Amino acid sequence: MPGIGVPPVEANLPPIVRRNYGKWVSHAVPRPGVLKHVSESGEACFTVRVGMPSNARVSTALARRICDLATRFSEGYLRMTRRHSLELVGVDPARIEELIEELRALGLPVGGADRSFHNVVCCTGWIHCQFAATDAPAIAKAISDALWEEFKAEGYPAKLKVSVAACVNQCGEGSTADIGVIGIHRDLPRVNDEEVAKCEIPLILSICPTGAIKPKPPKSVQVDPKRCIHCVACVGQCVGMPIGSPETDGVAIYVGGKAGNQGGGPAFGKLVIPYLPNRPPRWPEVVQAVRRIVDLWVREARRDERIGDWISRIGWERFFQKTGLPVSEKHLDGYVLWPMSARTGVRFHW
Amino acid sequence: MPGVGLPPLEQNVPPVALRNYGKWVDHEEMRPGVLKHVAESGEACYTVRAGMPTNARVSTALARRIAGLADEFAEGHLRLTRRHSLELVGVDPARIDELTERLRKLGLPVGGTGRTFRNTVSCTGWIHCQFAATDAPAVAKAISDELYEDFLRERYPAKLKISISGCVNQCGEGSTADIGIIGVHRDLPRVIDEEVARCEIPLIVSVCPTGAIKPKPPKSVQVDPERCIHCVACAAPCQGMQIGDPETDGLAVVVGGKAGNSGSGPAFAKFVIPYLPNTPPRWPEVTRAVRQIVEAWVQGARRDERVGDWIARIGWDKFFQKAGLPVSDKLLDGYVLWPMSARTGVRFHW
Amino acid sequence: MLIVQLACPKCGFVIEQYRADQLETDAQKQKRYQYLRKKQTLCPSCLTQTSKLEERRVEVEAAPEAELLAEGPSEAAPVGEGPTATPLCDELERGPWPSHVTELKQTRYHLQMYEEGLRQKKTQWGFGGYTSIPGVASGILMRASARPDIAKGANLVRAFCPSGTFYSTKTLRALSDVADRHGYGILHLHATTCDIEVLGVPKEELRATVDELVAAGLDVGSTGDAYRNCQECIGPLRCEMVLVDSVAMRQAYFTRFLDDVQYPRFPHKIKFKLSGCPNDCTRSQQKGDLAIVGVFRDPPTINEARLDGWVRNGGDMAHIARMCPTRAMEWDGRRLTIDAEACVRCMYCINKCPAIRPGGDRGVAVLAGGKMRGKYGPLQPVVIAPFVPAIPPDFKEVFDLCAKITDVYDEHARRKERLGDFIYRTGIDEFCRLAGVPATPQQMTAPRVNPFYHWTPEELQASRKEGE
Repeated sequence: MPGIGVPPVEANLPPIVRRNYGKWVSHAVPRPGVLKHVSESGEACFTVRVGMPSNARVSTALARRICDLATRFSEGYLRMTRRHSLELVGVDPARIEELIEELRALGLPVGGADRSFHNVVCCTGWIHCQFAATDAPAIAKAISDALWEEFKAEGYPAKLKVSVAACVNQCGEGSTADIGVIGIHRDLPRVNDEEVAKCEIPLILSICPTGAIKPKPPKSVQVDPKRCIHCVACVGQCVGMPIGSPETDGVAIYVGGKAGNQGGGPAFGKLVIPYLPNRPPRWPEVVQAVRRIVDLWVREARRDERIGDWISRIGWERFFQKTGLPVSEKHLDGYVLWPMSARTGVRFHW
Repeated sequence: MPGVGLPPLEQNVPPVALRNYGKWVDHEEMRPGVLKHVAESGEACYTVRAGMPTNARVSTALARRIAGLADEFAEGHLRLTRRHSLELVGVDPARIDELTERLRKLGLPVGGTGRTFRNTVSCTGWIHCQFAATDAPAVAKAISDELYEDFLRERYPAKLKISISGCVNQCGEGSTADIGIIGVHRDLPRVIDEEVARCEIPLIVSVCPTGAIKPKPPKSVQVDPERCIHCVACAAPCQGMQIGDPETDGLAVVVGGKAGNSGSGPAFAKFVIPYLPNTPPRWPEVTRAVRQIVEAWVQGARRDERVGDWIARIGWDKFFQKAGLPVSDKLLDGYVLWPMSARTGVRFHW
Repeated sequence: MLIVQLACPKCGFVIEQYRADQLETDAQKQKRYQYLRKKQTLCPSCLTQTSKLEERRVEVEAAPEAELLAEGPSEAAPVGEGPTATPLCDELERGPWPSHVTELKQTRYHLQMYEEGLRQKKTQWGFGGYTSIPGVASGILMRASARPDIAKGANLVRAFCPSGTFYSTKTLRALSDVADRHGYGILHLHATTCDIEVLGVPKEELRATVDELVAAGLDVGSTGDAYRNCQECIGPLRCEMVLVDSVAMRQAYFTRFLDDVQYPRFPHKIKFKLSGCPNDCTRSQQKGDLAIVGVFRDPPTINEARLDGWVRNGGDMAHIARMCPTRAMEWDGRRLTIDAEACVRCMYCINKCPAIRPGGDRGVAVLAGGKMRGKYGPLQPVVIAPFVPAIPPDFKEVFDLCAKITDVYDEHARRKERLGDFIYRTGIDEFCRLAGVPATPQQMTAPRVNPFYHWTPEELQASRKEGE
């Protein structure tokens, strides 16, 4: 029966972690994907970090093979990071090469630590979600393929986090990342009167953030095209409000998000490309855009400058100039909190 | 009849300015209240600046005496600055001391340039305004007396501008200044039914920014205490809406405003003291608070740091500490644009 | 000649009148007329607020004389009786700073009004506001007294200051004469928007006061829902920092927009402020509904020889480099470099070191929506266009843009909604669309975070066609 809570802490911890719990004093990244943590006692703990299939989708077959490796290399324990990389913690340094080979045989790359491309965070997309305007796992795969070598190397000014959300609900947290891809719907929800009649109309009305939905007697609703912001909220309330069309759905690209307090501090990504069409299975325009932005950042940023920090220094004017990306009124925030994005004063970069 | 527009330049501009129109190349702050501007031609133009009565209130008697000095020392011309100081432009450098003495005899101090306390800007207050919650001219006078020496001598890290508004309409532009004083009403407008009956009720209702005013049949209005923000807007269209209550009116202190683009850029001042009572004629609590803030700034700021720049560097966290001011929940913005003031991230100063 | 009159419904006083044929052909007058028909007016005769002016059409032989203003209730009592002691005012005469009370005492201003205000901690002035009389649509403020036992209501006339707020003594004396002859003898030099005010003018002398001010070269206006006095910086009249001719620009403003200043017809007041460089001595970036700021695009220039001399004379370049807000300056003790990409042309180093000067590629930035009061509180103006050529004598590009902005405002804003509140409510993206202003990164501190931007049916149709 439910009600037992979480397992005791020690139940899933490798011995090396239990031994040095709360006593870590330093760490380094001696080679891509390998972390070395040192504790007070002098004991060194080696972690091997591994990229995983997009959307953290793991068959039991793969899971069992990972268990085998964990048994052989890390005393029967493993972990997942907050970006869903695999980590084997407490690996004998003399056996790291061997482990990397075994992982390669499984198709899993070692890397994604420090000044590299990190494991992509993405949501479920078309694998299993009703709201998705795009397929996040495929886009994550396409981008990860393009930046494959950079996952396994340390050549960047700073870490690079890319996240993909299939719709503006952002389960894939695109806005949090250095580069975020966010699926967007551009059309209105279609109203299916017979289905809506079965739903709670007051709830559909009240859930709309802009008051775009009004009753349509006798038992349906209508959507004001001027007010609808395609936010998908009504779709979640009633099966009679489907949204999405292959011709008008697509993705937008946001840049500059990060959580850490260094540099420019925590921030969300900002819109740089309002729309690219869906082009499965590889979304080449999306990959190209990511490549263009990453290459420029690598060329121009100072050491330790995350993408957002770099843009803060050179100014958005310069960013658009150097990337050659066009600026339109869609970049200019006019929604509720827009004063936060509007420039005051005349401190322009030219 | 109106309709002539502006007079030609020659009617009021002194020959030295016309001769060198658009050809100035350099200036020097010789000492507080004395400026030297140099033109391409090599001609030097000396300006003597003097403080003026608060609220720029000048009797014709004083105006005529000033005109007399202008005739004697500045070829019959004078000007007022954008903070309503007097300036005599084109003074013979050999006669500056003499002019300074003559101005002093008129009660006008020479100073207010460079790193000094500047001439205050204040509105009309109780001299002639129906909205004033405080008397700006008297508060300005009290503050100017308190900081008088700093008008004459350079003791500060940078210029110090203090402005006083009698009410939140801010004709006295308190929010623009390094230190601003803003008169506040704290209670609801009192509704005089017989007067309101003579006014246009729909207008009173619509002018309220928060929808706090509703009709009260048969021919009056009522004010919702939860919504009223004491903004004085309803007092303008109808004399039946009476603001102004000696017991609850008072003033607030704001800090950190500036217009220039250097340092932390143009900004409005922020509230640091939500309320001090009216204590005419000298408002000692206000002058004490101003003195406290000024001294903290003098002690803590680097050269060229305006008050706002200094606070941007040390953080508001430290400001309240150093200025010895308590923090109240009234200072935490919760009004419409409050996200612009809310802290995100954890970059605290301790 | 057929005359169209708009009169107060309570006392019949004619607020404004037009020739019927003019009203048909003159677009400005039509707008002003529509404004008066729909919006609120304060009657200068009986101080009633009304939105329902009565329209009359009358045949007249010649241009009608201005009617004598009726006596209103607040003017009944005689003046000057009662207590004369002013202990609080007297106290304000003490202290080193020049005292406004000393000034008031030298005039016919009723000091007891102020003394009572200080004593009761409450204003003694009653209801009032901007108003107009025939021939003078703006420039007059009336205010009733709440203490008719002390003083009658007091009106003021507002006039434009001369360029650079310079005065010949001739002008200043003429102004003093007007104030002595018709007002209390107290001048306001100046109100915070740099308007001249003559206080204490009785109703029946308003017209004469206006005529005499105009004769002295001081035209009136800058009240009500109009373009206000454009406040400029001293610029070419004495300042080496100025990047564009701010003085000529203000004059061009008045040449082009005088009607918009003198005939209120907009949703609310529109304040123009004009600074010749980013130092912004007119505080336009805080207070201007329309803020025009001189800017330069290319990097600042360094005069090496002059820098050398300045440093040897004790100039502290290390300090200046350290204080650069974007850390664009590097000083190694001998050589100064400015990173042109990091530099935001803020004027700090230029202010502090005479060897550093602005670049030559100069124009103005236009920002809109600044204000201190209103629904959303103080708002700074936001960037609409970061660089517009500023070409004398007309400054056409600058003022064309300003006119476009105020046209959109005039057409769409609500009554008594300031431009900044209107832009806030509308959203700056929609506002720029309406004004035909292209999007530029300089309008943004950053592009939007939320995904809620709009698509036109045409854009979607284009995508649908592509899919076929």
